[in-house]
Amino acid sequence: MIEVRRARIDLEAVVDSVRRDDAGAIVLFVGTVRSDERVKALDYEVYRPMAIKSLTALAERAKDKFGLTDLSIVHRLGRVPVGGDSVAIACAAVHRAEAFAACAWVMDEVKRIVPIWKTEIADHPSRVRRRR
Amino acid sequence: MRIQVRLFATYREIVGSRGFTWSSRDGLSLRELVDGVVAKYPRLADHRDTMLLAVNHDLAASDRILRDGDEVALLPPVSGGAR
Repeated sequence: MIEVRRARIDLEAVVDSVRRDDAGAIVLFVGTVRSDERVKALDYEVYRPMAIKSLTALAERAKDKFGLTDLSIVHRLGRVPVGGDSVAIACAAVHRAEAFAACAWVMDEVKRIVPIWKTEIADHPSRVRRRR
Repeated sequence: MRIQVRLFATYREIVGSRGFTWSSRDGLSLRELVDGVVAKYPRLADHRDTMLLAVNHDLAASDRILRDGDEVALLPPVSGGAR
């Protein structure tokens, strides 16, 4: 499952999407919008066709690199309030070590190469700023 | 030929638009296109060193020769996901 969506992420569906009888481990990473000095939300802007293409290629690279049985990445688009889920990555593998390692690597790569930008939405319009 | 130019995040705010059509002679390189866009919107010049370039949804080198109908995206450094 590779998705960029406006609606909230169904974490159970993300986990179920990688569930297979030959996998002994599923690691789920959830990135959430944390509270920060007067920030009430983050706005995610996505170059969708390129993001889907790079997420799909990234998933294939991760499967090869870590020997995963399956992998799903779902990222939010638009406004996500503090406490909301912005990204979910589920990695399934025969053993847990590969699944943990893959999840960390994939999240770093998402931040590094996928064309997604976020802007902090503050409780006052003059405080809007981009977050890296 | 006509090139579709897409802009995101900071660049969209500087230009005040999500994109535009750029008309030019055949054989234009990606570097020449960006030179032209930066000349038209000088506030983009400060971002030139960190600007990533994509053609038809793939990252591209600046010596890439563009074709009629190509979609070029000017991409600020990305920041998706969790910190």
